[in-house]
Amino acid sequence: MADNVSKTMNPQLDRRGFLKGCTMAAAALGLSEAMIPRLVEAAANAERPRVIWLHFQECTGCTESLLRASHPDLARLLLDIISLDYHETVMAAAGHQAEQNLHDTVNNHPFLLVVEGAIPTKENGIYCMIAGKTAMEILAEVAPKASAIIAIGSCATFGGVQAAAPNPTGAVGVQDLVSGKPIVNIPGCPPNPISFLGTILHYLTFNRLPVLDSLNRPLFAYGRRIHDHCERRAHFDEGRFVEQFGDEFHKLGYCLYKVGCKGPETFSNCPAVRFNDVEVWPVSVGHGCIGCTEPNFWDTMTPFYERLPMAKIPGGGIIDSADNVGKTVLGVTAAAVGIHAAVGIGKRLIKGKKEE
Amino acid sequence: MATYERYHCWSILLRLFHWMFALSIVFLVVTGFYISNPWTNTLLEGSASFPMATMRYIHFIAAYVFSAALAIRLFLYIFGNAQERILDILPVTRRNLNNLKMTFLQYTYLSGDHDERLGHNILAGLAYLLTFVAAVVMMLSGFFMLYPEISFWEGWGVLLFGSQQSARYLHHLLMWWFMIFAVIHIYLCIWNDCTEPEGLISSIFTGAKFKHKA
Repeated sequence: MADNVSKTMNPQLDRRGFLKGCTMAAAALGLSEAMIPRLVEAAANAERPRVIWLHFQECTGCTESLLRASHPDLARLLLDIISLDYHETVMAAAGHQAEQNLHDTVNNHPFLLVVEGAIPTKENGIYCMIAGKTAMEILAEVAPKASAIIAIGSCATFGGVQAAAPNPTGAVGVQDLVSGKPIVNIPGCPPNPISFLGTILHYLTFNRLPVLDSLNRPLFAYGRRIHDHCERRAHFDEGRFVEQFGDEFHKLGYCLYKVGCKGPETFSNCPAVRFNDVEVWPVSVGHGCIGCTEPNFWDTMTPFYERLPMAKIPGGGIIDSADNVGKTVLGVTAAAVGIHAAVGIGKRLIKGKKEE
Repeated sequence: MATYERYHCWSILLRLFHWMFALSIVFLVVTGFYISNPWTNTLLEGSASFPMATMRYIHFIAAYVFSAALAIRLFLYIFGNAQERILDILPVTRRNLNNLKMTFLQYTYLSGDHDERLGHNILAGLAYLLTFVAAVVMMLSGFFMLYPEISFWEGWGVLLFGSQQSARYLHHLLMWWFMIFAVIHIYLCIWNDCTEPEGLISSIFTGAKFKHKA
C-alpha cells in the first residue's frame, strides 16, 4: 500500500512536482513551453530572493489558500524558490527572535515585500498593532526598503471587507499609503495561488514585474473578463437563465446572470486557471461570481444575488433598487405633467381663451 | 388678425441629430432593459435562438447611432447656425437671463407673456445641454463596458468610474433620466404648440418656425 500520509506530509519537493509547478506558472503567464526551461532555471537558482510577508487586517485566507492548496507542490515550490524570512503564520521563530529576523532582513538585504491585509488609518492606526507598533508604522518602516511590493488579496489591494462602508477603522490598501515603489496588486478573496506564483516566477526569470493594468493588477491574470471565458457563456447569449437557485434551469447548468453573477464586470483568470487542482471555480459549481477581484467589491457588488447595487436616496437613509427609484421619479414626473396640464386647461376655462 | 412670417431655424444637420438621438434612445432603452433583466427564457436548447446576443447587437448599433448623433450636436454647438450654437442658450447675457425668467413665469402660469425668440428658450436649452452631458457620460460608460480590455477605454474608464460595476450602475441609473426627459420634453412641446402658434412641433421636421410679423 502506498504511504499516502507521509507522501502528503513530506516537506521535500520532488523533481516532478517542481517541474509541474513551473509549467503551471508558465501556462498562467501565457508563456510558450520553450520558456519553461528558463523558468525552471530561475526557480532552481541557489540565490533565493528574500521575502518579508506582513499580515495586517486580514483573515489569513490568502495564506491558507496558498499553503493548503490540495496540490501541496505549489506551496512547497514557493517555499523552495524564495527565502521566507518573516511570515507570522509559518515562521519557526517567535517573539524577539522573529522581530530580529525582520529587522535583519530589512536593514541588511534586498527583499521583496508581500503584504496581506488592509492597513487601518483612523486614530493613527491603533486598530491593528503588532509588537507594539501600528500597521501603518510597520509598513512605513519596511516598505521604503523593499525592492518591490506585492499586495496579495482584496484587503491589501483595495481595503477589502474592512474598508466596506462605513469603514470604521479607515482601512486602506497598500497603494494608498506607499508611493515611489513598484506595487503589484493580486486581488481576490482569496486570489488564485497560481497568480501569485506566476508573478514571483516572472520576477525571478526576467528580473522585472509583469505588465500591469491601471489598477496595478498583472495582465496575465487579470486582463480578461470572466464572462468572456465562462463555460456558461453560450447559455447567456442564447437567453437561458437560472431564475432562482435550485430550479430546473439551475440543475441544467444555465447562465447565473439573473441570480446576480458578477462575471460580466469582473476580471480574473478563474474560468481558465480554476482552483485547487480539482478544476472548480464558483460558477462551475453553480454559484455566481461575486466580483472579489474588483475594487470595493463589498460595496459595489452587493447584494450578491442582484445585478446592481442598491441606490441610496440622499438624506433619506433609504436604500432601494435603481429601478424602483427610477420608476418613482418617472411616476412623479408624469403626475406633475398631468397636474400642469389640468391647471392650464382649468385656467383657460375660467379666464377664457387668450385674444390673438 | 395676426400675421406670421416663416423663418428658417433648424439646419438639416440638427434635425438629423434630433431624430438619430430620439430613435436610438428608444431602441437603447428597450434593449437595455432586456440586457439588464432578460424577461425571456429560451426553454428549447439548440433552437438557434439568440435573444440576448440579438438584443446586445441592436443595443450596440443604436449606441453607435447615439454616439454619432452626439458628435453632430457637439459640432453644431460650435459651428452651427445662430440658434444652434451653445452661446445662444447659456444664461450669460441680459437678454438670455430675462428669457429664462419669463419662460419660468410662463410655464408656472404666473404670466401669460411669451418672450419671443427664434431658437430654444433658455430653460429648454439648458435642459438639452444637461441631457447632452448625461449622454456623453452614457457613451463613455458604454464604451468602457464594451471594450474593457482595450487599454484606452480601460484607462479612462477606471479613472472616471472606478470599476466596471460602478460604470454599469451609473449607466443604468442615468438611463432613467432619458425617459423622464422624454416625458417632459414631449409634454412641453405639445403645450407650447397649443400656447404659441409658432409651429414648434413641425419645426423639427421642416426646420421652419413662424413668428409675428414685425
